[in-house]
Amino acid sequence: MAPRLTVQVQLVLQALLQDPATEMYGLELSEETGLQPGTAYPILLRLEHEGWVASRWEDIDPRAEKRPARRYYRLTAGGAVQASAALAGARRPKGTALRRLAEGGGTA
Amino acid sequence: MMPRTGPRRDLVKKQGIVWLAGAGMWIAIGAAVILPPDRAGWVRVTAACCYGLAALSFTAVYAARRRRSRRTGSGLSVRGRDDDDGPDGGAVHRSRALAVVSRLMPRSAGRRWLAEAESLLVELTAARRGAAVRSYLLSAPRLAVMLWGRKVLRRARPGPRRPG
Repeated sequence: MAPRLTVQVQLVLQALLQDPATEMYGLELSEETGLQPGTAYPILLRLEHEGWVASRWEDIDPRAEKRPARRYYRLTAGGAVQASAALAGARRPKGTALRRLAEGGGTA
Repeated sequence: MMPRTGPRRDLVKKQGIVWLAGAGMWIAIGAAVILPPDRAGWVRVTAACCYGLAALSFTAVYAARRRRSRRTGSGLSVRGRDDDDGPDGGAVHRSRALAVVSRLMPRSAGRRWLAEAESLLVELTAARRGAAVRSYLLSAPRLAVMLWGRKVLRRARPGPRRPG
């Protein structure tokens, strides 16, 4: 079942579709979409549950890097195709909606 | 009001427990040895058992408290860890509110949510961190409902049917 394509979901998918092979972590996605991280997380989880997105923990030594590992997300092969098709058929987020999201950080 | 805690208070508490456990053991020995020999054997045995059990329970409580205090670093560390929970260590921004809210979710999902939030918050400037924490807290109830719903559905899904 395809996830409901809200404006926020479309923004996340657009960000991931820029380069489907590239992994992005929460903060990158949040900056790219203008959504607050707390808003982006449930969307990513839903997309992951649908099999559109795959995620993994970054493989680093947190003590050496002096920061915790990030969780990276990328579109799966099938997910990229489905997301492109879904976005093509979806209504484009309107300017007002995007402005509101940019001002308020968006809500899930 | 939060109860006052500190190393001194903990030390006094521990010493008290050790003292009580010790006292219990001595009383048990006393009951077995000092009770007048004219008392029936079963009275002496019963008394020794009662006091011995009391001493044992004090010791067990003390040992459990020690184990718990050794394990407890923060709220999260009390619970076991899975592979999906995120790597341990490194500089982490600990938010008590997030840790508490993560407990509303199914265990594994809550730990992943918290680990991911903490890994992200540490990279944010202090000015942006507050808004990010608020966004996590605001989206948490709906997320918890979604995660629990998913878990319940997964459990309710019928397994393979038996023939016959």
